[in-house]
Amino acid sequence: MLQIPDVALAPMLPILIVLAGAVASTVLGFNLPRRALTIINLVMLVLSGISMVTLWDSGATAFGGGLQADNAAILLGLTILVGSIMTLLVSLDTAYRARVSFPEFDAMLMYAITGTLLIAFSGDLIVMLIGLEIMSLSGYVLATLQASRRAEESGLKYFLLGAVGSAILIYGIAFVYGATGSLTYAGIAAKASGLTPANVGILVGGSLLLLAGFGFKVALAPFHQWTPDVYGGAPTSVSLFLSTVVKVAAFAGMLRVFGGALADAPGWSSVLQILTAATLIIGNTAALFQRNFKRMLAYSAVAHTGFLAMCLLGTPQAGGAALGYYLLVYTLMTAAALAVVAALQRDEMGMEIDDLRGLYYRHPAYAVALAVCLASLAGLPPFAGFFGKYLAFQAAFQNGYVWLSVLAALTSVAALIYYLRPGMLMFMPDRTPAREYPHGQRTPTNFAVVLGVLGVTVLGILPNIWYGWVQNPAIWQFLAGR
Amino acid sequence: MIHFMIFLPLLGSLLLLLTPVRWREEVAGFFAAVTLGLGLAIWRAGGTELFSINWVPSLGITYSVQLDGVSLALSLVVAFMTLIAILYASRRVANPGTMLALVLAMETGLLGIFAARDLILFYVFFEDALLPALLMLAIYGKSNRMRALVKFAAYTLFGSLLMLVSIIGVKSLGGSPTFALVDLVANPVTGPAQTWLYLGFLAAMAVKLPLWPLHAWLPDFHEQNHDSGVPDLMGTLYKVGGYGIFRFGIALFPDASEELRPILMGLAAFTALYAAWIAFRQTNWKRLLAYAGLSHMGFVALGLFSLNETAVIGSMYLLAFQNVYTGALFLAVGMLQERVGSLDTRVGGVMNQAGALGGLTLALWFASIAVPGLAGFVGEFSILLGAYQVQPWITFVAGLTTIAAAVYALSAFQTTFWQGRPLGGVRVPDLQSTEWLVLGLPLAVALLFGVYSAPALNLIQPAVKTVLAALGAN
Repeated sequence: MLQIPDVALAPMLPILIVLAGAVASTVLGFNLPRRALTIINLVMLVLSGISMVTLWDSGATAFGGGLQADNAAILLGLTILVGSIMTLLVSLDTAYRARVSFPEFDAMLMYAITGTLLIAFSGDLIVMLIGLEIMSLSGYVLATLQASRRAEESGLKYFLLGAVGSAILIYGIAFVYGATGSLTYAGIAAKASGLTPANVGILVGGSLLLLAGFGFKVALAPFHQWTPDVYGGAPTSVSLFLSTVVKVAAFAGMLRVFGGALADAPGWSSVLQILTAATLIIGNTAALFQRNFKRMLAYSAVAHTGFLAMCLLGTPQAGGAALGYYLLVYTLMTAAALAVVAALQRDEMGMEIDDLRGLYYRHPAYAVALAVCLASLAGLPPFAGFFGKYLAFQAAFQNGYVWLSVLAALTSVAALIYYLRPGMLMFMPDRTPAREYPHGQRTPTNFAVVLGVLGVTVLGILPNIWYGWVQNPAIWQFLAGR
Repeated sequence: MIHFMIFLPLLGSLLLLLTPVRWREEVAGFFAAVTLGLGLAIWRAGGTELFSINWVPSLGITYSVQLDGVSLALSLVVAFMTLIAILYASRRVANPGTMLALVLAMETGLLGIFAARDLILFYVFFEDALLPALLMLAIYGKSNRMRALVKFAAYTLFGSLLMLVSIIGVKSLGGSPTFALVDLVANPVTGPAQTWLYLGFLAAMAVKLPLWPLHAWLPDFHEQNHDSGVPDLMGTLYKVGGYGIFRFGIALFPDASEELRPILMGLAAFTALYAAWIAFRQTNWKRLLAYAGLSHMGFVALGLFSLNETAVIGSMYLLAFQNVYTGALFLAVGMLQERVGSLDTRVGGVMNQAGALGGLTLALWFASIAVPGLAGFVGEFSILLGAYQVQPWITFVAGLTTIAAAVYALSAFQTTFWQGRPLGGVRVPDLQSTEWLVLGLPLAVALLFGVYSAPALNLIQPAVKTVLAALGAN
């Protein structure tokens, strides 16, 4: 008797809509200009968001739990969509200047978003891996798409190191499967405690390999070395995408695997705390010495990986809520800051920090917006970055990692200094000629910047608007699925 | 009314950006005056009740504010000095819109610090006041301001992030349901953990007091700031460390405060004497005033850490009123700079041509070095009186400061205002129009509360008694 697979359309719908956008961009690219495709894709992303919202509290699954549209998936998926929409908006203005304004750009972007959503919705390791690979392969192409040596170099670096990361990750999956005999998160979680000693060793090995593989994707030290080169070398709109959406997705995967499947497994948390500490120190210290603003933001992305990883060290309930809040805030502030860079840069190298001097007197709105983003990145209230940082500290502190929260506090001082320099230079009067692109202020970019700045301000003053949704511990208790 | 008082300046600061340039001074002055008026009305009503609503319920963060006692006294001083700052900035700074907006934005942060009765809210306001201070320095500062900015911000954040960890720890280890002060006091942390948490909290407050060895940002901050002295005045108001220790430190960490008392009193006394000694060697008026302020803060800290009732009352009294005369002195120095084009303490002979400026500066200096009959004396004397009963020798060392203070104050005054006017020096005009108010009103306040201290003491005394009574009960 042939068994009919458990195919439910509703939980797949958000992903399928995005995939439809990707396919449409591929096919219609021959007939329509890119701007029309981008607008179609924006509509698709909004539709996908709406379909996610309708799934709230339904707990729908498909493929026997292989795909699960639980609330955690929806919250992370919405965060991914916010970052994606901001990327598309910025690319409307700057892709042309970056010489990547082809339909393929949109197609690749939409494929990547499909992959990221698949990770957030994953219910077993194979689905997660497929999503990760779709996302990574599209990401490699995006990083290389611009016809310049820098972009090629950055894409190749990304590809080589990303491939190594994937290989390690797959090896880890094999180990975990070998130890537990299961690929679904729920199955692994059920078997993780109560293994024979021999299998415990294999499980620890597997979880450490998984950690290293994910470390490559989220840029945890010492697996972060590709980050500055790739983010700095890729076109700015692509850097925006890689540093927000891709990172959110990779963290969603980590949350599923380590907060869900391997929550009770031994070994990985003590290694993760070392990696987190190293990331905090290396990311923040290296950013201090950067002269290029875009590259500094790349290092700041590494440093933020450290803060985000602190959430994973908390209990899944507290840590998941903290991560859910922080990821959205991180997306908003990073995307808005890079959107301003994309609008004002003369070429894809971004701007030197010194070039920002006096920006307030030339582009007051952008300067204030950038200052708000930098203040939020530095974790200064009343902007939302503060609550993100506070939640991350609290998650780690309450789970016993007191030393890590103290270390994070100290490295945050370094973070403040490197955000402060560009932030304050913008307000210092300057008589030298402007060094930024004069025609950068355009409506879609402005819209993305306003979205980001309003987001971090409102979420900073009234954190409950978003935190009220993510705070329910029940959401994060069953990350592995029931 | 209390929420109006806290947020009205911020509203004014935002509205100022929409106001036509020619009306900005008037609008800013209006908002500052209404804020002060609200403060006086609250004072008349005898303070406000505790107002508390949930801010982020799932995290136990509340919006709890109250203005009474010490908080109200300090808030009134802040509102008063902000008005004075705006009065002077309107006259002195060309096209002052941005500066006025920043001053008002900072006022909200400062009033919030004093009104907050929730640790996270306190932290938020504490950091909120930082941004306008940084921006004022960035926009109006002098050529080496980047260094000063980095120092100022790094010291502040170094302290406050450690405080943030402490705040998390206080709630998490004590098991309090919210961050509201009443709940935290009801669920205290005990044992060695309390000492560690207190040290984290102290880091922030010691930077903002400031206390040796965390004071190094202060002289640079003042030296690099705008010549008018308006940002310096706001920076002086921002020295809220003493208040933080009084409101949260003693209440939350009673055992640790007693345990660390000798060490902290020693540090405070050393700060007072050391700063006075360094002040004597300064030749820049702003640096001199910075060190003089640091020396006063050493006194404030000495009184606070002694946990003696008289001394703590004196501390709060000094903390409130040193804002008045130190702030006014910064503005007086700004006027001096406008006239002679230099902040050097060796200009010479200004008194001959600008007698009123010299006279008012001297009177404010007298308040600063605690001449009886002026507000500084009441505070410093009570501190010495109270602290002597706890640690006589440390207090003796701190007492030497009063001698040093007279030396640095009078020698700087002498070389600037007396002595001969150098040949070819420009003619120095005397005080004009609103400048009389800018220096006269603070002096009047310092004089009034030096002679008749009862109204201020009536505010401060019960609040101090409440805090210290809780200490004795433990």
